[in-house]
Amino acid sequence: MRPTAAAALLAALAVAALVADHLWSVGALALGLLCVCLRAGRRARPYLWGTLVSAGLVFLLSPLLQSTGWHVLWSGPVVPVLGRLDVTREELWVAALNALRLAAVGLAFAVYALLLDHDRLIAAATGRRSVLAAVLATRLVPTFERDAAGLVEALRGRNLAPEGLRGHAALLSPLLAGSLERGTNLAEAMEARGFGRPGRTRLPSPPWRALDVAAVAAAVAIVVVAIWL
Amino acid sequence: MAVASVEQLTFAYPGAPPAVGDVSLSVEPGEVVLLLGASGSGKSTLLRALAGLVPWFHGGRFAGRVEVAGLDTRRVRPAELAGVVATVFQDPEDQVVLAQVEHEIAFGLENVGAPPAAILPRVHDALAAVGAEHLAGRRIAELSGGELQRVCLASALALEPQLLLLDEPTSQLDPDGAEAFLDHALAGDAAVVISEQRPAAALARADRVVFFENGVVLLDAPRDAAIAWLDEHRPAWTSLQPSNSLLEGRGGAVVSRVSDAVFAYPTGPRVLDGASLELRCGEVVALTGPNGSGKTTLAKLAAGLLEPAGGAVERTGRAAFLLQDPGRYLVSETALAEVALGADGRRARCALADVGLAWAEARHPRDLSSGERERLALATVLVDAPDLLVLDEPTRGVDPERKAELARLLRAQAASRATLVVTHDVPFARAVADREVSLGTRREALVA
Repeated sequence: MRPTAAAALLAALAVAALVADHLWSVGALALGLLCVCLRAGRRARPYLWGTLVSAGLVFLLSPLLQSTGWHVLWSGPVVPVLGRLDVTREELWVAALNALRLAAVGLAFAVYALLLDHDRLIAAATGRRSVLAAVLATRLVPTFERDAAGLVEALRGRNLAPEGLRGHAALLSPLLAGSLERGTNLAEAMEARGFGRPGRTRLPSPPWRALDVAAVAAAVAIVVVAIWL
Repeated sequence: MAVASVEQLTFAYPGAPPAVGDVSLSVEPGEVVLLLGASGSGKSTLLRALAGLVPWFHGGRFAGRVEVAGLDTRRVRPAELAGVVATVFQDPEDQVVLAQVEHEIAFGLENVGAPPAAILPRVHDALAAVGAEHLAGRRIAELSGGELQRVCLASALALEPQLLLLDEPTSQLDPDGAEAFLDHALAGDAAVVISEQRPAAALARADRVVFFENGVVLLDAPRDAAIAWLDEHRPAWTSLQPSNSLLEGRGGAVVSRVSDAVFAYPTGPRVLDGASLELRCGEVVALTGPNGSGKTTLAKLAAGLLEPAGGAVERTGRAAFLLQDPGRYLVSETALAEVALGADGRRARCALADVGLAWAEARHPRDLSSGERERLALATVLVDAPDLLVLDEPTRGVDPERKAELARLLRAQAASRATLVVTHDVPFARAVADREVSLGTRREALVA
């Protein structure tokens, strides 16, 4: 399948997850995307962790911050500003729905980042500059993960292995500085290779196939059905 | 008519003293010009000026005139010079834009407006020119360092430039890989300006040599005259003196012993299959071999950074390991604070002085040149006074005079520890090591 068609399908699934109101349909979308994501093997781990932690936090915290519903399951202390902490069945339902929505969107992004051919996505894009920026930003996750592993290994080599949350948090600043340096080097190399010059041409791309057309049609249908339902 | 001419170029990066001063030279069609000089002497700045990146990309104060193919680089943006000029930078990982080899090479051709039907044939011609047709369908992430460097060269050659600029392009390659890379790079009709810190292979192929010191051209001469001048005035650039050690320390206690080690990274093939290595206190061992032969993996096993899947590793005392490209992994705000992470301030100052960076203790590590960062990283492991010191490619980006100093330093401290140096740099290995262990051919030979 062409990456543009696949990207349209993934975007449609993410939109559908955001607008659907049924817990089971959003859950099914998230599960389907998880299955696709797992095809990437070990590379999927940081994306899965990020998605799981974010969705878990939404599920755990949002019932405490909302005040809806009348079937109280737990009633806690009064906290300044927030008022009484309690959890109702309705709040849990909303929290589960939002957590699944977030998970579905996160997994759709993971599939895009891990399994799509970004080169062909850039080649097909009309706004090449912005799509290229988005693709390079996507690559930040694995680069960041690799740099972090290198940094930890370098410190272990100096018998200074970081320990605990605080030790690892201290690595964020050098990691960001390293990313900025990489970004500057890449920008320089791109400028030297003519990026941004007028009169650009494109490598001829293969023609659209029936599967690509079907995927785009399915993407449109998914969004329409999700909004209608 | 010259492909490039530089007239009285003086340039200073923002907030810094001049990186080059009053430099004048010209490059004739088809000529191969080799730039030599210490780290930070102005070689890379000149290359960037020829590509138009100085001053367009970096800013700073620019005086003089640089013309490439008749185009004044102050009036024409670097992107518009692309195609006339092509550059291969030092670190291939920082110049790759796309994920697939063919697309990566096509990127520049698309940018310069090559006819669509001609792009793919030119991509394949460029791959053939660097002996890498087999990489055409591969993903960039799957390539070794040497393969990636050849893809970067193919990306430059595909543009069919009049002027090819190479900034230490062989720093990550083994000697055979470096020779092959230079053969490919210099086979075309383009004039080539190449900066190198391992000069032997490039010296053999250059027409002319320009030697920089503190931003000033000290020598601009044909190769043979330049070699004679280097022999007389800068002998470290033509030969490092072999070690005179007679292996007196070889009888010291074993600090690390790797026996029949087997190792494979997750989802990868076996990197090591029955490799052995013994390191004794008082000796310096050079671990050599071609790219991908498992040198770094074996060194990490010896230092305890990895555990073998089979075989055994015995180690006594503390080990310190300096990774390849350690300048990327500095975490503190000043050079002194970086070294003092592993020791008190007094020892940290001594370690900085040992590597010639006493002047830089208040500088931010990322403000140092790549060679200076390498030396700072070396100080961070020397300060710990380890029983086993492992250095992985410690001479990458380091000029020959600093390499000679590093060899002297390691020799001077050799008696207090076991030292393992993983390196492609054969002259350095011979200058520093008591014995050489070569992976790939599984050869072990005494150097001294």
